[in-house]
Amino acid sequence: MGILKAIAKKSPIWIAYLAALLGLPLIFDSILAISIFNQMAIGIVFALSYNMLLGQGGMLSFGHAVYFGLGGFLAVHTLTLIEFETVYFSIIFIPVIGGVIGLLAAIFIGSFSTRKAGTVFAMISLGIGELIAASSLIFSDFFGGEAGISGDRTYGPTFFGVDFAQNDQIYYVAAIWVFIATLFMYLFTQTPAGRMANAVRDNPERAEFIGYSSRRIRFISFCASGLFAGIAGGLFALNYEFITEENLNAATSGRVLLMAYIGGLGYFIGPIIGAVVLTLMNSLLSNYTELWMLYLGIMFLLTVIYLPRGFAGFIMMHQVAWINNRIKSLAIPYLLIGLPSLVFLASIIAMVEMSDHEGEVFHYLGFDLDPESFITWAIVVGFSLAAYAGVRAALPQLKEAWESANTVPDNKDPKS
Amino acid sequence: MSILTLNNISKNFGETKIIRGIDLAIEDGEKHAIIGPNGAGKSTLFHLISGLHNVSSGSIVFKNQEIQNRPPFEISRLGLARSFQVTNIFHRMSVFENVRCALLWSKGFRYSFWHLLGRQSELNDAAMHVLEEIGLSDQAQYPAGELAYAAQRALELGIAIASGADLIMLDEPVAGMSISEAENAVELIRKVTSGKTLIMVEHDMNIVFDIADRISVLVYGEIIATDVPEKIRANPQVQEAYLGEVASSA
Amino acid sequence: MLEVFVFATLNGLVTGLLLFMLASGLTLIFSMMGVLNFAHASFYMLGAYFAYSISLKTGFWVGLIFAPLLVGILGAMVERYGLRRVHQSGHVAELVFTFGLAFLIDEAVQFFWGADTKNYRSPEILDFPLFTMFGQEFPAYRGFMIGISVLIFIGLYYVLTRSRVGIIIQAAITHPNTVANLGHNVPLIFMGVFGVGTALAGLAGVIAGPVLTTFPGMALVLGSIVFVIVVIGGLGSLPGALIASLLVGLLQSYAIASDVGMPELLELLGISFDRSHPLNDLWTLSLPQIAPILPYLLLVLVLIFRPAGLLGKREE
Repeated sequence: MGILKAIAKKSPIWIAYLAALLGLPLIFDSILAISIFNQMAIGIVFALSYNMLLGQGGMLSFGHAVYFGLGGFLAVHTLTLIEFETVYFSIIFIPVIGGVIGLLAAIFIGSFSTRKAGTVFAMISLGIGELIAASSLIFSDFFGGEAGISGDRTYGPTFFGVDFAQNDQIYYVAAIWVFIATLFMYLFTQTPAGRMANAVRDNPERAEFIGYSSRRIRFISFCASGLFAGIAGGLFALNYEFITEENLNAATSGRVLLMAYIGGLGYFIGPIIGAVVLTLMNSLLSNYTELWMLYLGIMFLLTVIYLPRGFAGFIMMHQVAWINNRIKSLAIPYLLIGLPSLVFLASIIAMVEMSDHEGEVFHYLGFDLDPESFITWAIVVGFSLAAYAGVRAALPQLKEAWESANTVPDNKDPKS
Repeated sequence: MSILTLNNISKNFGETKIIRGIDLAIEDGEKHAIIGPNGAGKSTLFHLISGLHNVSSGSIVFKNQEIQNRPPFEISRLGLARSFQVTNIFHRMSVFENVRCALLWSKGFRYSFWHLLGRQSELNDAAMHVLEEIGLSDQAQYPAGELAYAAQRALELGIAIASGADLIMLDEPVAGMSISEAENAVELIRKVTSGKTLIMVEHDMNIVFDIADRISVLVYGEIIATDVPEKIRANPQVQEAYLGEVASSA
Repeated sequence: MLEVFVFATLNGLVTGLLLFMLASGLTLIFSMMGVLNFAHASFYMLGAYFAYSISLKTGFWVGLIFAPLLVGILGAMVERYGLRRVHQSGHVAELVFTFGLAFLIDEAVQFFWGADTKNYRSPEILDFPLFTMFGQEFPAYRGFMIGISVLIFIGLYYVLTRSRVGIIIQAAITHPNTVANLGHNVPLIFMGVFGVGTALAGLAGVIAGPVLTTFPGMALVLGSIVFVIVVIGGLGSLPGALIASLLVGLLQSYAIASDVGMPELLELLGISFDRSHPLNDLWTLSLPQIAPILPYLLLVLVLIFRPAGLLGKREE
């Protein structure tokens, strides 16, 4: 009962979240949109689970895909078991299987890898990840070798007559799971273990001096994150009915790191933003250009250098201005710098794309660009230079506006 | 009744002997100051007692249990708390959270991941109480890392006393403070440690003579004298150890 | 049997020394700056690609000289304009930055050179057998690889221990503030060390490209192994990195060369399983098959039983 009360306090946000999750496919109901939403759902749970380790626990892992992948593999195998009626339960419980496997794997691996955080932990996670990914290619009976394994989610008892053959039906299952997973991961941060995870992240030495074994705390975070990564793996299995070694390996581990980092590690909502943004880039951009991975790489690197707190961090940076009620004063400076920035970005991308499309005319933002034409190049370069100048010109004004919007009234300044 | 006893403690780092055979008994409820020139090994002594380092030989008995070489979290749970010379707080968490975390174990929460902290009114009240005692209640929501230096030192103290430890060890608690800040800090220390045992490393002689029941003088890893303040002041060996130092820094 | 052993040892030596060329740069950078450069193998890849492009115009030897220089300059730029900024956000941010860099270099290589394997060939001068033993030839190019590696290491050793720069670097590793106070430009030293470290990686790429094939995945292939090596050898220890590199190189070489596996072991014990047994994969395991994962197995074992690595200093 008490938990319900706690939820009720923050309920407007959670209700909105649930409504968004359930309502999105009603607004965007194309097949592509549903597929994107399914991917986002998986990404959200996976990225949130990763943040339990990194953002909240301060543990950088390069092998988180192991729990995701193992969960997924067991989930697909379970689908097959259901198909042949060796076990028989509704597939809506498949993510539970994924979660259990993720938890068991995390308990085993965490027992020796959580002794330290930092570089040693990162290296162990990398080693374990590679070990398991490589082993999965060897044990091809279970992991299906390079081709992976597949299953069918339409078996088992139907759920109020639904057999989940269609993608939008499975999306609602995913949406409920995303809501439940998000809720529990959030609640974890409000518990003693969750808070001490933050403390151990900030200062493992001091945490020991208030009575807590840093190693134990890290172990608990590790297991919890494995559990939820496994659930994400189960969702993956349900959505794609197919899983391969790729879903265990360093590339997938890297992708979830990207999602969490770009979204913003220090905020609970960060990974959600990161998962949404990355899924959109992945699905939509890849239709327009072959180079989207290159752009992703550049964006990631720029984020690490200039926006170390991610998109969520960027939004939260405006907290003080919001409190001071000065947000509106930033609108025009942002516009003045935003427009030339966009033009600059567009022209740089145009140049990159032109280099890639050697010799063939291609369509870009409503124009037909010819890489062979000197005039086209001249125009694009000209735009980029003009835009750059525009950005430089608008920068001081933005700085000034930012500073004045962010001055804390004196009597509230903790440093005085 | 002695709450903490050091029996012939030694600590070597490789070839270097930092602590050489220290014997000391601290009485329950005593306010004990440890003074000595820089490099004498005062912080190392603290680290040995609080579990950060292992001893090379000897034993440390706290409340009738041997605590040498045990990990800090075990020692802390027995009722020993310490503060640090360099501020050692949870800088990304709020001031309130810092103190609340320090209370968690003593309130019996252990590694729970099923209690929602927002609903634990007794815990939260206790945390606010500590904040009031150290004078930081109106800065409760700020990230600890953004506080002014003196406020951070107060928080440092707050974290140490929050758990209700019986033995509190403070390592240069007023280092880096202005005179008025230090005065406030000393008052605070006096208030929060009343009824408890206090061991304090300190350089400012005025503070030392003000608070301490007894003083130990640590020079090159050995205690050359342990006595009440007046006798220490008059002790020729102590004068030599300090006069030598005072003269060179003049 | 003996011939297999001899050649496996020689090949293991080639691989091990190559790995050390990569691991030494990585260790230097880690010792200096506390940063494990995830993109180190990417600079190795860049070395191979630069050398390939240069060799198309002017031949192998010009590439051998200029490609590492180019890579080193690029590395120094990365340190100056990227890593240095990220440094203030902490070690995690640095690791993530180098990780992103690796990702970006991977994509950039595919963008500039294409995704296909490049025909980067070893120079014709070295296209003869160095010696023939037991009917098998040992290519002169591999001998060349060993020779260059050894030369570089001797040079590195002397620079680090005998030259003024080297002593300053050794000091800056443990006491950067003191060294700065003595008037040395520590940021410049950092930039230099990063540049030299990456140049070493590039050099490894230049000489390895013809043998290990030059393709966009080459960074991934070696990348994780190099990390495994520096961790096994002990983070921050050059001798440890050398031992670990040789160990891994030889181990893999022997494993691949041997034809031994579980079936032989089981035969020895007199047990047999039929093909349909669920753990069939396990029973038919052979050493060559698990050769790729041996380094990781070793890593996990070392990290459990000796977290500081073989010769490692404690993590800061």
